[in-house]
Amino acid sequence: MLRSLTRTALRQGARISHRAIATTAVRPADASDLTIQEREQIYPKLGNRDIVGYGFNGNPVYIDREEWPAPAVRFRENTAEVQALRAKEQGDWKALTLEEKKGLYRASFRQTYAEMTAPTGEWKTVIAGLLLGLSFTGWVLIWMKTCVYPPMPRTITKEWQVAQAERMVKQRQGAVLGISSQWDYEKNEWK
Amino acid sequence: MLRSVASRLGSAVCSAARTNVQRTCAVTQVRYRHDVEESAEEFDNRYEAFFNRQDVDGWDIRKAMNDLQGLDLVPEPRIIVAALKACRRVNDYALAVRYMEAVQNKCGDKVGEIWPYLRQEIKPTLDELGILTPEEMGYDKPELAVEDVMDM
Repeated sequence: MLRSLTRTALRQGARISHRAIATTAVRPADASDLTIQEREQIYPKLGNRDIVGYGFNGNPVYIDREEWPAPAVRFRENTAEVQALRAKEQGDWKALTLEEKKGLYRASFRQTYAEMTAPTGEWKTVIAGLLLGLSFTGWVLIWMKTCVYPPMPRTITKEWQVAQAERMVKQRQGAVLGISSQWDYEKNEWK
Repeated sequence: MLRSVASRLGSAVCSAARTNVQRTCAVTQVRYRHDVEESAEEFDNRYEAFFNRQDVDGWDIRKAMNDLQGLDLVPEPRIIVAALKACRRVNDYALAVRYMEAVQNKCGDKVGEIWPYLRQEIKPTLDELGILTPEEMGYDKPELAVEDVMDM
């Protein structure tokens, strides 16, 4: 009894380790192989679209990106007219009109590259917002100056500073290395 | 009893480990070397051969196109020709036009110099398969003003 139990347990253990090691790159089943319930559950937003590629990390999503020319899902659902175009696509492509070719393109892709890279004009909004912000801070500054800060000290004027320098020279402050060392007392001017 | 269990356990573990080792070895039959640099010529040959495979399908084509788009190069005309022919084999017209657009995008600001050369090189194939260039499709300028997904 114990022996048979052990054997079974070992067999199961060995199988698990085999499975863990045997990793094969299996292509996920085409969505058309799934039943409707499975499809609804796994890809709730897919609708009647074809999954035609691997996608980002295996997620079949549609996205227009310049560095990703072929998304994993076709953009439009397989409606009757698209199916008719696909049937015609099987034949000679020279027989397709320009409209049909455009229809095929738009069935697979949402935007062309030119539309993806087209300028949006968004920079104008950005600049406008930036200038608005700057002018607002300017108004805040003006308000602070008029209503919040006390008046500037009387020493801030040019006349006051000149008079102070004169006074320091007259008092011979810094006669060796300071301000008075720069003053020529014989000629009464700066050296 | 314990001894018999232990000996069975040991032998079973050994055999399991042996089979595992054999299997793992069998998985990596190709040895990838990192000291050999692939030349540009070999690279082009590789992708051309990939697109020219007779059993190539839409998955493979898309994968190769996306990979090529991520590299710092503009594909050689012969790769583009092979890709267009592969699109023909899987009956995907849209993908062919899309790929030419992608290549144009890949030319960057040199598109005025590189794309005329590429177009001249792939022109016979385009005529043979009945593919229109993006310009002929009217896709060199924005056709529709669809809303940006970021604004929705």
